[in-house]
Amino acid sequence: MEKSPVAREGSNTPASPETSLISLEADFLNDGRFGARRLEVTSTSVQVVEHGGVVSFQIPIAEIKTARNEPLVGGGRLEVTTSSGEILPVISYSLTVAAKFSEAARGIEQLAKSEPLMINLKEERLRCAKCNRLLPEKDGICPACVNRGRTMLRIGTFLGPYKSQAILLAVLSFLTTALNLLPPLIQGQLIDNVLVSQKNLGTLLPLILGWLVVIAASSVIQIASGRVIAQLAGSIAADLRSSVYRAIEFLQLTFFDKKQVGAIAARVTSDTDRVWGFLVEGVPYLLLNGLTLVGIMVVLLWTNWFLAICILAPVPIVIAIGAIFWKPMSQMFHRVGQKWARFHTHLNESLHGIRVVKAFANEDTEFNKFRIRNHELRDAGVSADARWNTIFGAMTFFTALGGLICWGVGGYMVYDKQLSLGEFWRINAYLALVYGPLMWFSAVNQWFSRAMAGADRIFEVIDSDTENYGDPGNAHAISGEVEFDNVRFGYDKSNPVLKGLNFTVKPGEMIGLVGKSGAGKSTTINLICRFYEPDAGTIRIDGMDYRDISLQDMRRQIGIVLQEPFLFNGTIAENIAYGKPGASFEEIAEAAKAANAHNFVLAKPDGYDSMVGERGAKLSGGERQRISIARAILHNPRILILDEATSSVDVETEKQIQEAIGRLVAGRTTFAIAHRLSTLRNASRLVVLDKGEIAEIGTHEELMEKQGVFYNLVQTQTAINEIIGIAE
Amino acid sequence: MTNLKAFYHPKDRLRLTTEDRSHLTVKPAWAAPLSRPNQFLSLMNGKGEEIVMVPGLDSLDPESRAAVEQELGRRYLTSQVERIVSAKSEYGATYWLVQTERGEREFVTQSLQENAQWLGPTHLLLIDVDGNRFEIKDIELLDVKSRAFLDTTV
Repeated sequence: MEKSPVAREGSNTPASPETSLISLEADFLNDGRFGARRLEVTSTSVQVVEHGGVVSFQIPIAEIKTARNEPLVGGGRLEVTTSSGEILPVISYSLTVAAKFSEAARGIEQLAKSEPLMINLKEERLRCAKCNRLLPEKDGICPACVNRGRTMLRIGTFLGPYKSQAILLAVLSFLTTALNLLPPLIQGQLIDNVLVSQKNLGTLLPLILGWLVVIAASSVIQIASGRVIAQLAGSIAADLRSSVYRAIEFLQLTFFDKKQVGAIAARVTSDTDRVWGFLVEGVPYLLLNGLTLVGIMVVLLWTNWFLAICILAPVPIVIAIGAIFWKPMSQMFHRVGQKWARFHTHLNESLHGIRVVKAFANEDTEFNKFRIRNHELRDAGVSADARWNTIFGAMTFFTALGGLICWGVGGYMVYDKQLSLGEFWRINAYLALVYGPLMWFSAVNQWFSRAMAGADRIFEVIDSDTENYGDPGNAHAISGEVEFDNVRFGYDKSNPVLKGLNFTVKPGEMIGLVGKSGAGKSTTINLICRFYEPDAGTIRIDGMDYRDISLQDMRRQIGIVLQEPFLFNGTIAENIAYGKPGASFEEIAEAAKAANAHNFVLAKPDGYDSMVGERGAKLSGGERQRISIARAILHNPRILILDEATSSVDVETEKQIQEAIGRLVAGRTTFAIAHRLSTLRNASRLVVLDKGEIAEIGTHEELMEKQGVFYNLVQTQTAINEIIGIAE
Repeated sequence: MTNLKAFYHPKDRLRLTTEDRSHLTVKPAWAAPLSRPNQFLSLMNGKGEEIVMVPGLDSLDPESRAAVEQELGRRYLTSQVERIVSAKSEYGATYWLVQTERGEREFVTQSLQENAQWLGPTHLLLIDVDGNRFEIKDIELLDVKSRAFLDTTV
C-alpha cells in the first residue's frame, strides 16, 4: 500500500516539467503486435515513447479533462477526453499490466485537475529475481527458486518440541542400515566356512542363531522407527496446521479481500499435507536408503574394488532413466488424476441435477457426456500405464544387467580363485539392496521441491501482517458515544469510498444509515467494527481515539446482526451462547425469549439441542434471524450493528423479528443499514450517504419535510412497493 | 442491412448510422467468439446498449466492414497460438513460450484444469494467471513439436 516514491513527488515538491511522474511499460505496439512502449507522464504532458525513443503520441496535461482505462477483451486501453470533448486512445496493454494503467489514468486525471498526485504504483515483480521465470503470483514466491535449505531449516524449528524423538529416529535409522548389511555377511561366512569346506558344522548353529538375532532386532527396530516417524510427522503437520490457522485468524481483512476462501483453506489443508507426506515418507526414505547406499558402496569396494566398479557400472544409466522419465511420467499420472476429477465433477453434477435431466428428457445427452469423460479417463489411464510399464521394463533390464555382470565377472574371479564363493555371494546380495531404491531416487527431488513450495506458502501466511490484537491499548467499558471526525477511507488508498465523514452519535441513539448501494454504508460499518481503520481522520468512542482501546476488548462490546446471519454447525443453544461463552442455560433461554425465538425452539423435537446444520441450513430464514438476534442479546454489546435484519419473511415473522430487534436495540448505540426505509422509522436519526459523503442528517420527519435526497429515495421505493403490491 | 454505415468520425471514434439516427462511440462485440467465431456481431452504443446485431462482417458494405474490422482488431487483444516454442510444467505452474500472430509471448498458467478450456475436441483456450487469453483454433494444425508440448502439459 505504499505509494511509489515517484508518484508521491507531485504532492509537495513541484516537479520540473521534464521530470517523469509516471513511467509505465505497455506490452502492445501500435499495430497490435507484442512489444514494449512506454507511457511517460510529466507534470505538463502525457507521452507515448516507442522502443527507439521516438515520441509517437503527445498531449499537454492542460488539454486533458478526464482519463480512463477502457476495458478491452484480453487487455485495456488508456483513453483521455480532451477539453473539447474529443476521446483519444493513448496506449493499449494486456491484462498483465492493466491494473497499473488504471492507476496511471487516475493519476493523469488528478494532474489534470491540479490535485495532488495520489496513486499507488508500487513496482510489481513479474519475474523471479533469481531465475527470471515468470511468477505465478505478482510479487509472489517463485516455486522453482524456493530457498529449500532455509525452508527446510525452518521446518526443522518445528522439530524443537520433539527433539528426543528426532534423535531417536536418527539412531534407529542408523541401526537399521547397519543391520541390513549384516545378513549377507553372515551368509558369506556360512558359505565359505561351512558349505564349501564341508566341515566346521559347529559354526553353523551360532551363525544361524546370529542371523536370527539380526532379523529379530531389525524387525523390532523397524516397528519402533515406523512408530516414531508417524508420531513425529503427524505432530509436526498438526503444529503447522495450527500455526497457519492461528495466523489466518489474525490476518487483516485485506488479505481475505484479495484471496478466495478456497485458496486460503488450501494452505491449511493441501500445503500442510504435502509437507506431512514428505516428512512421513520422503525423509525416512532418503535417510534410510542414503545411508544404506553409502554403507554398501563402502563394503563393496572394500571386498573387491574391481568387481564393485564393474557391477556398479549400470547405476548411472538407471539414475539417468529415472531422471529423464520421471517428470513426464508424473505428469501423465497427474493427468489421469485430472481426468478423474472431471469425471467425478460430471457424475456429481448430473446426479445432483437428476430432476432437471429427467424433466428435460435429456438422459441420452447426459449419457453421451458421461461416455466421453469415461473414454477420456480410460485413454489417459491406458497411455500412462503403458508408458510406465515401458520405463519400468527398461529400468529392470539395466538393473538385471548389474546381476549379469556380477555373475560374469564375479563367476570368473571365483573360478580363478581371486574371490571366495562367500565373498561372491555377499556382493551379489548387496547388489539387490543397491538397485532397488535407485529407481526411485530421481522422484525424491521433485517430491522435495513440492513439499518445500508448500511449506513456503505456509510460511508466507504466517509471516503476513496481522491485526493489532496484542496492541497495548486500554481496556475500556464503552458507554456508547461514537464520533466520526473527518474520516476518510478507501479499500484501495487511491480510490476513497468515504470522503470526510463528520457526525456524532449520542449513547443509546439509533442511527439509520441510508443510501444507494456503493454509497459507503457497509464501509462505515466496517470502520466502526475496526475491520479496517481510517486512512485519515479519527473515530472516537466516548471521546477517545478508538485505536487507543484494545482491539479485542472493543470488539467484545460490539454486536452484529447480519442480513444473512451466519450460524455455525452445532446446536441452537451453542449458537446462542457463541456471543457469551460459558453462559448458563437460563441466560440462553432468556435471550431466546427476548428474541422471540423461545417458542419455535421448544416446538422442535430436540428443543435447544436441535442441530442447525451447516451454516444453519436446517432452520428457516426467519428462525436464523431470531437465533442471531438472541446471540446478540446475550452478547450484550454497547454498540450494535444491524444490517437490514428483515427480508423475505412472512408478515407474522417480520412482526416478531421487529419486536425482537426493538428489545435488542433498547439502550444501546445502534447503527442500522436498511434498504427498506419504512423499517427505519424507529431510528433516532438518519444519516443519508451519497458517494461517500453525508448528504443529509436528521430525523425521519425532518428529512421528509426537507424533501431532499431521502425524500426522493422514499418516493421511489413507495412507487416500487405499490407496483409489486407490498406497500405498507 | 444496406442502410448500416460504419465509419471513423472523428478520428479513432467509430460511428454508426442506421436508418433513423447516428450513434457515436460504437463498440463492436462478438456475441459468441469461441463457439461461433466470425458470426453474430453486435454493435453497441457508448452506454453498452445494443444498436443492432448482424450475422457477420459480410453483411456490411466494404467501407463499413473495414472500419468495423479495424475497431475489432483494437478491441480484441486475444492471441492465436501458431506454434508452441516451449511449455514446461513445474511445481504446479506451467511456463509457456508461444509464437502468436502478434509475435512471441511468454506467459505462465496455473491449475490447467480450469485454465485450459477445451472448446471442442481440438479447440483449446489457455488463460494465463492475469486473465490474458491464448487461443488454439485447431491443435491438429500445429506442428508435431507443439503438439508434443500440449501432450505433456494439458
